[in-house]
Amino acid sequence: MSGIENAVQDAAKKLLAENKVDVVIGFAQGSQPLRSTPAFIRKPEEAEKLTWNCTCENNLANYLRKKEQKIGVVVKGCDSRSILALMKENQINRDNLYIIGVPCSGMIDRKQVADLCEGKEIIAAECTDDALVLKGHDFEKTVNIVDVLHRSCAACTHKNPVIYDEMVAEAVTEQKEDFADIEAFEAKSTAERRAYLSQELSKCIRCYACRNACPMCYCEQCFVDCSTPEWVGKSASDIQDNMLFQAVRVFHGAGRCTDCGACERACPMGIDLRILTRKLVKDAKELFDAEAGVKMEDKPALSTFESDDPQPFLVKE
Amino acid sequence: MNNPYLPLPMKLVKNFTETEDKLIHTFTLEFQSEEDEKSFAYTPGQFAELCVFGKGEAPFGIASSPTEKGQLKFSVAKVGVVSTALHLMEEGATVGVRGPLGNSFPMEDLKGKNLVVIGGGFAFTTLRALSTYILHPDNRADFGDLTVIYGARNPGLLLYKEELAEWEGRSDINLVQTIDRPADGWDGRVGFIPAVVEEVAPSAENTVAIICGPPVMIKFTMPVLEKLGFKPEQTIMSLENRMKCGIGMCGRCNVGSQYVCKDGPVFTRSQLLELPNEY
Amino acid sequence: MIITKQDIPNFLDSLKNNYQVFAPVKQDNYTMFKAITSGSDAILDYSNSKIPPKGILFPQTEELFSYKVDKQGAHLEEKIDSEQKVIFGIRPCDAKSIALLDNVFNNDKYEDPYYLTRRENTVLVGIGCNQPQSTCFCTSVEGGPFDTTNLDLLLVDIGDKYVVEVLTDKGKKVLTSAACSDASEADKQAAAKTKESATVVSKVNLDGLKQKLDSNFYDEIWDSISEKCIGCAACTYSCPTCHCFDIVDEAKDCDGCRVRNWDSCMFPEFTIHGSGHNPRPSGKERFRNRVMHKFKYFIDVNNATACVGCGRCIQNCPVNLDIREVLADIQGSEARSVS
Ligand SMILES: Cc1cc2nc3c(=O)[nH]c(=O)nc-3n(C[C@H](O)[C@H](O)[C@H](O)COP(=O)(O)OP(=O)(O)OC[C@H]3O[C@@H](n4cnc5c(N)ncnc54)[C@H](O)[C@@H]3O)c2cc1C
Ligand code: SF4
Ligand code: SF4
Ligand code: SF4
Ligand code: SF4
Ligand code: FES
Repeated sequence: MSGIENAVQDAAKKLLAENKVDVVIGFAQGSQPLRSTPAFIRKPEEAEKLTWNCTCENNLANYLRKKEQKIGVVVKGCDSRSILALMKENQINRDNLYIIGVPCSGMIDRKQVADLCEGKEIIAAECTDDALVLKGHDFEKTVNIVDVLHRSCAACTHKNPVIYDEMVAEAVTEQKEDFADIEAFEAKSTAERRAYLSQELSKCIRCYACRNACPMCYCEQCFVDCSTPEWVGKSASDIQDNMLFQAVRVFHGAGRCTDCGACERACPMGIDLRILTRKLVKDAKELFDAEAGVKMEDKPALSTFESDDPQPFLVKE
Repeated sequence: MNNPYLPLPMKLVKNFTETEDKLIHTFTLEFQSEEDEKSFAYTPGQFAELCVFGKGEAPFGIASSPTEKGQLKFSVAKVGVVSTALHLMEEGATVGVRGPLGNSFPMEDLKGKNLVVIGGGFAFTTLRALSTYILHPDNRADFGDLTVIYGARNPGLLLYKEELAEWEGRSDINLVQTIDRPADGWDGRVGFIPAVVEEVAPSAENTVAIICGPPVMIKFTMPVLEKLGFKPEQTIMSLENRMKCGIGMCGRCNVGSQYVCKDGPVFTRSQLLELPNEY
Repeated sequence: MIITKQDIPNFLDSLKNNYQVFAPVKQDNYTMFKAITSGSDAILDYSNSKIPPKGILFPQTEELFSYKVDKQGAHLEEKIDSEQKVIFGIRPCDAKSIALLDNVFNNDKYEDPYYLTRRENTVLVGIGCNQPQSTCFCTSVEGGPFDTTNLDLLLVDIGDKYVVEVLTDKGKKVLTSAACSDASEADKQAAAKTKESATVVSKVNLDGLKQKLDSNFYDEIWDSISEKCIGCAACTYSCPTCHCFDIVDEAKDCDGCRVRNWDSCMFPEFTIHGSGHNPRPSGKERFRNRVMHKFKYFIDVNNATACVGCGRCIQNCPVNLDIREVLADIQGSEARSVS
């Protein structure tokens, strides 16, 4: 792990020293155990602040849209897919971007870790290659990283960046697509699904962290904020409106969402958003054989039309 | 406890298309009882939240003067939810009014002073209230010379045309109207407000300038006023930050530590120079 | 006075006869304040709640009044909630935040009857913090883990029982339905010891901060401080002192209601003018406003810092933008006055 960290720092230092970029966006040590934080590094000597470990969970592609500066960016597999998807949508000028790719073994989910510690506060944590050593006021615990990965990481099929200028470590082994989670959800009755989603969305406080953390959510005016017409009510107490908000948000990401999990990680209320986003990832794959942000030459799933496109949502087949 | 969120229902007696482009309507609202009217004692420069039930509410400057009894006037540009709903309202309908809100022009301080009132576009609303108030026979003697400089892009966009015509005929007000570019049928002055103020060159001696208009107009008129000798404390402006509650609680209209709704909207330029430029 | 932990559910159940009782309950793996249906729903062993209990006095969504409009005019019906309430288990920082909100909803010119009526009818039963979290910095903002500001009762956890400090008559009244006994000398000593041993590790330095903020509005530091912020409302909605709201109509045709919803100065729509002009056009200005509001503007107006050091914004920020670090950065910056 520290090998990767050094390589990231070296790459950043070199880019800045040679004036190839104005800023390198990567991760720095966060202010709490198990947290890192996005960092904007502008001087070669500051590159040593950059870190790499199993807490680098933010999707940094979110900081790259419509930027004039020359940017170096540290990316995981999922971030790279978002970058590619944004390039296709003309949001990122590849010429101004230098991508430092990091093969990723997955990021840990603090909520799962908290569960394992029965909600007790973790006051210190250490990441080794495959384990976390957690310390609380009255306990110490070691957990395997693979047991507490974000669900999107556990199911990730593109751990290695799909686009990069430089790769700082050996590629890691990829795994097969597995939609068992979504299949299980699909197998439930409509009423059960509705009940589950109502339960989840009843917790929503409409902070819009999910939307703002998503690299693909960049409409100048989001439909939820629009007042003429008012597409969706503004009160968080209305579960129907919260559901409508997520439904539209998720549909707008259909064929564009890279299943990076950024929205779900950002949600302070721990709402299961991925059950929705991933359902559409699966649909895009099954209906249009489309996978967002994987190949530049792939046509965007929902902005192209073929006469033999399946349309199960329009006509019952 | 008095509930500052409850609107006073008033009757819309006139929905008048004020400008040629039809984008500004003037609404005349009638108090439904004397008690209602008493509860709404206001001073020029104040504003109110107008509400269309079912749509929402938005702040608008009170364009009428307290000397005009029994009613309130608002001139509203059609920009969004509430203003559009208002434009579509039929006479006789009920409109909610919450107010009066905000401070006002400092009428007591203005007494004995000459006044230069400078307005641009549809920001003339509370300036109309002020001028009408001063011109009322009960009040006229309290104030010195009254100069009103009012401009719009073209003649069709000037508000309150009938009154302007009446003011032209009076000797106790010096009305200077101007439009930005020459137009057919306009034989009055042509030119932007800053240039016209420079031409009219009101003396700053014992005078207060009150200026409302689009930000560019304000920006270019300020140096002219300074050149004429108006000190920041002799210049009064009214801000239009986005508002909701109007009572200093919802947090959105602040400029520095001042809430424009509660501590404003009227500020002297010297007060504004102390504040961050977030308006 | 002494009340045992075992007696708390009964105490809460008996309070329910006369009050609506709010207490910390579990939701997923965090804690929320909710109206409880049974005294045993309350959890006693919790670090602070995810979202502050301010929502009990100032709900995220609240109907102000309903109306009917017909030919005769508009008929309004005010909806003021005057039910008696107890908030059980509120932490001292959150109780203190309510003192700050009092300034907002009862300002120099206006009174908010919705908030003030609830406030008047609400009893605050606090539980001190034996084990402050690593993100807590209450002692830096004039608070403390056993601070009694605004509380009616303070419970000090000494193991299997609480030593109860009766702070007001309101507090005394709710205590009448509790199975209390007198505190022994040993209990009192245990309470004193507990208070002493609770340590708030995290600190922020407010010395001279206000003076810096008085003059650094145009400083370049705001560009870098806010750079990683994604402009959500996770911080403001979880902050016990944030009070911004929006007012909207929820209506079908003309029968409907006027509702207020929490809003956030971190959203661009918050300040956009009808003309499209926005006085706080980017994240930088909005973030600056949030910091200025808490550590300067609120002091200018109410002579108090609008942060109680609860640490929620630190825990909930998706990008770990930590207010303690922001303040430290400002403290470190050369304040340059430009205008
Ligand atoms: C003290 C004061 C006095 C005023 N006096 C007058 C007056 O006399 N006459 C007058 O015409 N106006 C006046 N205004 C301005 C008026 O209050 C605004 O134009 C108000 O927004 C109109 O309300 P609305 O519901 O029609 O518009 P809204 O629906 O609020 O929308 C207005 C505009 O705001 C923008 N907007 C709103 N919401 C969003 C969003 N979510 N995202 C992006 N953009 C958005 C859009 O540009 C939209 O066109 C005054 C304002 C103040 C503060
Ligand atoms: S919707 Fe969620 S999972 Fe999909 S790209 Fe956006 S943040 Fe990532
Ligand atoms: S981040 Fe979570 S709580 Fe916030 S709006 Fe999205 S779903 Fe709701
Ligand atoms: S600013 Fe942060 S730490 Fe301070 S009171 Fe608000 S949420 Fe708590
Ligand atoms: S929670 Fe963090 S990212 Fe969201 S607005 Fe607050 S500081 Fe910015
Ligand atoms: S409009 Fe709500 S504080 Fe000014």
